[in-house]
Amino acid sequence: MKFYLYPIIAIMLFSSCLKQSIPDAMLGSKNSGNKNATLSYKINGNDVNISVPGADYQNSYGYETLSCSKSRNYYSLGGVSNTGEIVFTFYTDSLTVGVYRRAFAYDDPFVAEYNGINGYIYAASDSITVNITSYDKGHISGNFAGVLTPVIIAGNPDNTYGTASSVLITNGSFKNVPVFY
Amino acid sequence: MSKNFLATFLLLFFILQANAQLGVMKLVGNGTKDYKMGFGAFIKTGFPVLEGSDITLEIGADYFPSDDVDGTAMCPLKAGYRYTLNGTGTGFYLEPQVGYNVYGVTSLQDKNGQDIDLKYHGVIFAAGTGYLFSISNISFDINLRYETVIAHGGSNNLVSLGISKAFSFGRRETEY
Repeated sequence: MKFYLYPIIAIMLFSSCLKQSIPDAMLGSKNSGNKNATLSYKINGNDVNISVPGADYQNSYGYETLSCSKSRNYYSLGGVSNTGEIVFTFYTDSLTVGVYRRAFAYDDPFVAEYNGINGYIYAASDSITVNITSYDKGHISGNFAGVLTPVIIAGNPDNTYGTASSVLITNGSFKNVPVFY
Repeated sequence: MSKNFLATFLLLFFILQANAQLGVMKLVGNGTKDYKMGFGAFIKTGFPVLEGSDITLEIGADYFPSDDVDGTAMCPLKAGYRYTLNGTGTGFYLEPQVGYNVYGVTSLQDKNGQDIDLKYHGVIFAAGTGYLFSISNISFDINLRYETVIAHGGSNNLVSLGISKAFSFGRRETEY
C-alpha cells in the first residue's frame, strides 16, 4: 500500500508548490513575476519609449499604460506615453505567436498619436504589421512597423487628412506586455 | 468509437452498482481566496481485489462559487486503491487516487464586463482517508481527501469532506 501512496503524496506536494491556480496560470496575469513591460518605436524618427515596472498589476487601477486587453472577439495592444499613444487591434478570438497586419480597409482605424497629431490607416499604402514572437504565461513580446496618414483637422463625420503615408513607425518592439482578460 | 465504448461501459458500470456521494470542499492555495465553500456530487464504485482492499472508480462534479465571478467547475474521473487498515473492509481506510479532469471551466468577467470562460482538463492526484461503518444495516463512508488538478502550469488544490453509502461491485463477507 505504501508503494502506491507515497508517489501520489509526493506528486501532490509538488503540485502544491505550483504558485498559481489553473485560471491564473492561463491568464498569466498574477503571480508570474510582476514583469517590467516595455514598448518602444520611432515615429518619423522621434523616439518613443514606454516602460512599466510591475505591469501585471496595472489592471487593478482600471486603466493601463501598457497592456494587451482581450475583448470578446479581439485583443487590443496599447501603450500610452507623455507624447501620445499607440494602439493595435488583433482581430482574433485566440491570440497566438504570429504576424498580424492591418491594412487599408475603408474603416480608417486610429493607430498612433504623437504630440497631438493622430495617425490613421487611411490611404491605400497605409498599414501596420505586428509580429508577436513570444506569448508566454500571459505576456507577449514582438516587434512592429507601419505607415500611417496624419489627420490635419479632426472632423465629424470626416477628418481632413494630410499627406498620405507620411507617418512612419519604425523600429517598434515590445516585451513582456501583459495580456489582460 | 472508443469514446462511445468507454462512455457506455462507464454508464453501465455505475448504473449497476454505484452509489451517490455528497461532499463539501474548499479550494486552497494561491488565487483561491475569492472562492466560497464548494460542493460536489459523485458516483463511485469499487472492485474487491484483496481482503480489505478495493480498486475504486469515481466520477463527479465539483462547483466552487465565487464572490465576484461565476466560479469554477470541474468534472473529475478517478481510479483509486482503497485499503482498510485492519484488512477487513471496514473501519479506517486510505485511498490514493489518480485521474483526469474531464471538463473544467472557470468563468470570469473581463474589464468590460464581458464573460470569459477558461476551459481546461488536466491530471488529478488525490489522497484520502475515511471511515466505513454501518448504522441499522445502512452502510456509510465518511471521507476526507486532498486533491490536486494540474493543468497549464498551475494547479487547483482542494480539500474535501464527503459522506456516502458504502458500496462494492463484488461481494465480501462484510458488505461495504
